[in-house]
Amino acid sequence: MEEIRAKAIELLRSGEVKCFIGYERASDGLTARPFFAYSADDAGRLIFDRTCAHNLARYLPDMRGQRVAILVKPCDSRSVNVLIQEGQVNREEVYVVGVVCDGVYKASWGQPSQELEARCLYCSRRVPVVYDHLIGQPPASEPQTPASIPEVEALERRSAKERWEFWRSHFARCIRCNACRQICPACYCPQCFSDQLDPLWTGIRIGLPQNWVWNVGRALHLAGRCADCGGCERACPMGIPLAALNRKLAGRVKELFGFEAGLDPRAPFPFATFKKEEVL
Amino acid sequence: MKFISDKNLRKWLESLMGIGSLIAPMDLGPGLTLFSQIRDPGDVNLEYETTPIPPKDLFFPSSEALFRFSPSRGYEIPEIDGEAFLLGIRPCDALGIRLMDFPFLSEPADPRYERRRRRTTLIGLGCIKARPECFCTSFGIGPFDASNADAFLIPVKGGFLAEARTEKGAKALAAAELEEASIPIPKPPEVPSIDVGAVREVALSLFNSPYWERLADRCLSCKLCAYVCPSCYCFDIRDYPIRDGAERIRSWDSCQSPLFSRQASGYDPRQTKASRLRNRFYHKFSYFPGEFGAFGCTGCGRCVRYCPVNIDVREVLLAILRGEAKVA
Ligand code: SF4
Ligand code: SF4
Ligand code: SF4
Ligand code: SF4
Ligand code: SF4
Repeated sequence: MEEIRAKAIELLRSGEVKCFIGYERASDGLTARPFFAYSADDAGRLIFDRTCAHNLARYLPDMRGQRVAILVKPCDSRSVNVLIQEGQVNREEVYVVGVVCDGVYKASWGQPSQELEARCLYCSRRVPVVYDHLIGQPPASEPQTPASIPEVEALERRSAKERWEFWRSHFARCIRCNACRQICPACYCPQCFSDQLDPLWTGIRIGLPQNWVWNVGRALHLAGRCADCGGCERACPMGIPLAALNRKLAGRVKELFGFEAGLDPRAPFPFATFKKEEVL
Repeated sequence: MKFISDKNLRKWLESLMGIGSLIAPMDLGPGLTLFSQIRDPGDVNLEYETTPIPPKDLFFPSSEALFRFSPSRGYEIPEIDGEAFLLGIRPCDALGIRLMDFPFLSEPADPRYERRRRRTTLIGLGCIKARPECFCTSFGIGPFDASNADAFLIPVKGGFLAEARTEKGAKALAAAELEEASIPIPKPPEVPSIDVGAVREVALSLFNSPYWERLADRCLSCKLCAYVCPSCYCFDIRDYPIRDGAERIRSWDSCQSPLFSRQASGYDPRQTKASRLRNRFYHKFSYFPGEFGAFGCTGCGRCVRYCPVNIDVREVLLAILRGEAKVA
């Protein structure tokens, strides 16, 4: 924590960056929230601990044209790469402060917890994939990636009809608040397909068929781009298990194209490249 | 006050279900309770902690067809069902409904809202525990405030103290086997209060403060805070083709959405996150009181709890009141 504050003060004092995007304690006194430090004084409010779950990369496109510093965990660092790769963020404008991460806790507002978030249980990285300065001691070796994700496997074992029912009951509850979209670092389109009225994609109606198009469309647009930061699922007020969809799709993209989001900012995108020998 | 024992509660709920539909808090999954249509009285959870969606959607559904028209069937207005009992609503949510009445029942009244409001009996429920985000006492109510309900229940050992506040409420309670209450009214939990009296005047001087931009750094411009708010009532209306005709749909909308204030010309007077976020607070604490004489907030704390990045209305109120949001 002290190291992060010191780095922030150094970057802000020297004028190297205008703003340091990190975390501060949330108003419940337990969890964390994003924090934008503009001065050395502000930097005193920065924290980092296992409640710092947000993926701050989401804020980078808002800051275009200014030099900023950002604190990233390994999963968040992949989103930074996705943004660079997709031309949304200029690498020169961002000073990336990476933190070695042992996982974050599943805390929700006002409720302390020491249980790791699901994604952290099978995360295979402790060290961010991109950084200009690293905080923390990297482990001797990175942990093994588990062969499969239990929650995805459990869904795959169900019949098609059961899976349909499962998602039907969840999507029926969606209120289309778009928090899942707005918190996602990979959702930056100036106009989302779901807001498109001419031609019409989903319309303003909040109901199962429209929600279905929205929720499935969102997940598909993130295949090969989602860094599994869990932001969407954490933000959803209706408890919809969006991460299961993201994880399934990320798995398929890896199987089919050997591609994982955000590992290499120069790698060509599976969905933006075409090879003649590719067949469906 | 009367007393309904736990044993008689089920019978009462069954008889209410015989008269009309019963809407009450029901558990739908871990940590998720929502006001739902009850089929089995055993599903009612009167010890619930919170519902992400307030019961406003019973009167102002998240989405509904106002009417349909087609060459073959002509013009149709979807029916609104008969009598309904909304059971277990907290004092803050009951206040929320009263606040919704201002825009929806002012002349000319919204006919669909008005029908639903007229057919529904509100059966309130006292809070025996305050959540960390509660600040309802700032708005003249409190954990045992019954003033916006037709009937009111206070949980006590072995059952509920019950009181009718209106004729509708008396009718609903008449379906219960009531006993004379021998249990005294318990002490309500303490709920912190913010003295919001001066907020309207102070806020007006802070319109151009950079405070809003700093606060908006964090905001995601999602619509969640409005959708979970018991007093937010914005909507959008559009016509859509259906098989052999068209229908006019009304759905929730929010001033936080970048599309909300875009005009037909393409111009948007609220282009930045900061101007949208500021509108949310000004509408609740300045424009709404100017129009209707009441604050547009109930202190339910839902926006505090559910905002994915913890934009806390209590902090905003205090910042305004303390002048922290001063124009630099
Ligand atoms: S956050 Fe949840 S409720 Fe909101 S639009 Fe996304 S899936 Fe639907
Ligand atoms: S889809 Fe969800 S988990 Fe994936 S990057 Fe976006 S917010 Fe994170
Ligand atoms: S205040 Fe919170 S809930 Fe509201 S728009 Fe901003 S991020 Fe979303
Ligand atoms: S503004 Fe927040 S605290 Fe006030 S009524 Fe709406 S959701 Fe509740
Ligand atoms: S705060 Fe915004 S969404 Fe809520 S009622 Fe006011 S203008 Fe509408």
